[in-house]
Amino acid sequence: MSRGNALAALALTVVSLGLLFWDRLDARRRTPAGRQEVIFWHFWGGADRVIVEDVVDRFNRSQDRHFVRPVAMPGNNLDLKLFLAVSGGEPPDLINQDDPITADWASRGALMPLDEVASQDEVRRLREWLVPAALRLGTYNDRLYALCNGLDVRALYYNKSILDEHQLRPPTSLEELDRIALETTVIDRAGQPQRFGYLPDPRRLWAWGTVFGGDFYHAPTRRVTADDEAIVRALDWMVGYRRRYGSFAVAAFRQGDQSLPGKSFPLLARRYTAVMDGQWRVRDIMAAQAEQRRRGDQVTQYGVCPLPPPAGGRPQAGWVNGNFFVVPRGAPNQAGAWEFMKFWSGFGGHEGEAARTCRAGGWIPVSTRVVAHPEFQEFLAEQPLFEQFVQLSASPNQVPTPVIPGAPFFQRTINETAARAMYVEPVPPASALLKEATRAVQAQLDTRQESHFVTP
Amino acid sequence: MVRREFLGPLFISPWLLGFLLLVVYPFAASLYWSFCQYDLFSPPRPVGLANYQRLAHEVATGGRFGQALWNTGYYALLSVPLSIAVGVTLAVMLSWKVRGQSFYRTLFFLPSVVPVVAASVLWLWLLDPRDGMVASCLAALGATNSLWFKGATEAVVPPGWFDFGSKDALILMAVWAAGNMMVIYLAAIGDIPTQLYEAAELDGAGPGRRLLHVTLPMLSPVIFFNLVMGLIQSVQAFTQVYLVSEGTGEPAGWSLMLSLHLFLAAFQDLDMGYASAMAWLLFVVLLAATIVLFRTARHWVHYQGVMR
Repeated sequence: MSRGNALAALALTVVSLGLLFWDRLDARRRTPAGRQEVIFWHFWGGADRVIVEDVVDRFNRSQDRHFVRPVAMPGNNLDLKLFLAVSGGEPPDLINQDDPITADWASRGALMPLDEVASQDEVRRLREWLVPAALRLGTYNDRLYALCNGLDVRALYYNKSILDEHQLRPPTSLEELDRIALETTVIDRAGQPQRFGYLPDPRRLWAWGTVFGGDFYHAPTRRVTADDEAIVRALDWMVGYRRRYGSFAVAAFRQGDQSLPGKSFPLLARRYTAVMDGQWRVRDIMAAQAEQRRRGDQVTQYGVCPLPPPAGGRPQAGWVNGNFFVVPRGAPNQAGAWEFMKFWSGFGGHEGEAARTCRAGGWIPVSTRVVAHPEFQEFLAEQPLFEQFVQLSASPNQVPTPVIPGAPFFQRTINETAARAMYVEPVPPASALLKEATRAVQAQLDTRQESHFVTP
Repeated sequence: MVRREFLGPLFISPWLLGFLLLVVYPFAASLYWSFCQYDLFSPPRPVGLANYQRLAHEVATGGRFGQALWNTGYYALLSVPLSIAVGVTLAVMLSWKVRGQSFYRTLFFLPSVVPVVAASVLWLWLLDPRDGMVASCLAALGATNSLWFKGATEAVVPPGWFDFGSKDALILMAVWAAGNMMVIYLAAIGDIPTQLYEAAELDGAGPGRRLLHVTLPMLSPVIFFNLVMGLIQSVQAFTQVYLVSEGTGEPAGWSLMLSLHLFLAAFQDLDMGYASAMAWLLFVVLLAATIVLFRTARHWVHYQGVMR
């Protein structure tokens, strides 16, 4: 072997060994002596990932017992990866999720109930500390399996400038919303809508069903009740818009939303006067207004209000979801996972840290105690639109997708039913569609409840 | 010393091991799971033919599997022949010695190198029912009822005649990317012996007859190859369907293909037994279709003038 070849072989060996032992060579990846590692899987990317890393960094600096190592994973495959990891005996210590999987995973014994991770007393205090929506999101079969760390709440955004032009005020009842929809919709000469005052989105039947006073599930009898009379009325009301404008106009207009560059907020493109969406759109509005100021244009004014109920409906109501922590069964460092969950959510005296995190991410706190913290109050003073969402988050009428096994199927089936009612010709009566959906979901639920893995 | 007769198996043992672990085992396991209720977590629980009965019931009642089966059949039966027709036509035209031949070849091949994600977003724009370029052109011709990706119509099935819906949009995307097939046809056309054309010309055959009686028969093995591969690929269509329907098969299941339905059942509903049964049924259907194609091949596929 020539000298050159020998050197090349040596270099290759060194690089290979370096790659093999990279974990140990990289100081950032080393767990400090005397501290126990907490492997934390999450799905955040982009700007949010920076915030996550900052929370982890703050926690690690505050600790002398645990050390969190965050691992970013694509959200779509998280379930499968978790199951493989648990089956293989190497689960992470902590996971953050936002899909309605708590009951599915818990019923399969994949999650630790929090009363086995923390003391009974702590869990009791936690239940009192959380807002009702956060408590519902984490509870399955009366046990807390997930700790919510941020809520996603929907409300009605409106273009105040357009309302002012038409001398209308923000809606407080469904009739007022219908009036806004009727008076501010713009139809061109060809009969094509150029702007909708309001157009119900099929994915929002969950929210409108609740606002109309309906419940999708009756927990005591374990019956799916998506064909509840109030939900039928909600779907009928949504279909009324389709009847008025025609399914082609409605579907074509919706398709246009999907084609907006970067899926930007359609309200900003003046495609609607009012749109139901979540608190994350506040950032988009502020950025658009800042851009208008920079260009010297007139600044469009926007507002947010609760979903206006019909007579006999629920005030401050809607569909809520959120991000939550779960501890997989067999996680080696459950105590460390619990400490980190508390640090992030704010429970156990960490309200200040949680306020800082929620402020950075534009997330809604899961406890009124975090909201009341001066740092978060300062944030609300800067972003008045956000305050409406925070108020709504504490309402008992904010209801998540039922926390039952098969919840993703439930959610999908209802969305599809509403889409069929809104877009597909010919349309059967709303009651028939919802009865069919109820039957399908109940059958799925019964199969799961009959099977051996569901805890009765 | 290893005995000489063991050397061969020893050398291929890494591949054999991989084949057994990564192909044979999942194959056998999924067959077993198809007769079980299995959620990846608890041990599989045998349920006999329940999963297959559920599939049959869904076919009979137009349930989700029935809908997915119809959608996939519609997509495969239209996209494959259309892609072949477009690919062959383009290849024949691009084999003509004209100025800028390489440029045109590159131009028509380009769509097949565009990543599926980018192509899906592009088509969402092009087929926007109100403001999209394609929709505007069709509207100029008087066709204004097509909703494309949001549509629950089927252009070749009444009552939706020429109202293009979500599956038609997916077919259009597939045909647009026929460039990879075209390259194979181009290579095959280059291999056709010129004597055949000379002989045909001496016999008085014009361009049309030469295409019909020389080019197409000589291309038939490649067309057959693309037909089989195209059929398999179209039944497995997933990425573009997932992207344009936001992972749901919208609108209301009108673009729900078998692969997407299988994915949702297996990894969202954790119904692995049902998904395995579906995968096996799909496998059997594909196998049967391929056997039928091979049987019919003897009547229309020519291997250098020899029919097999």
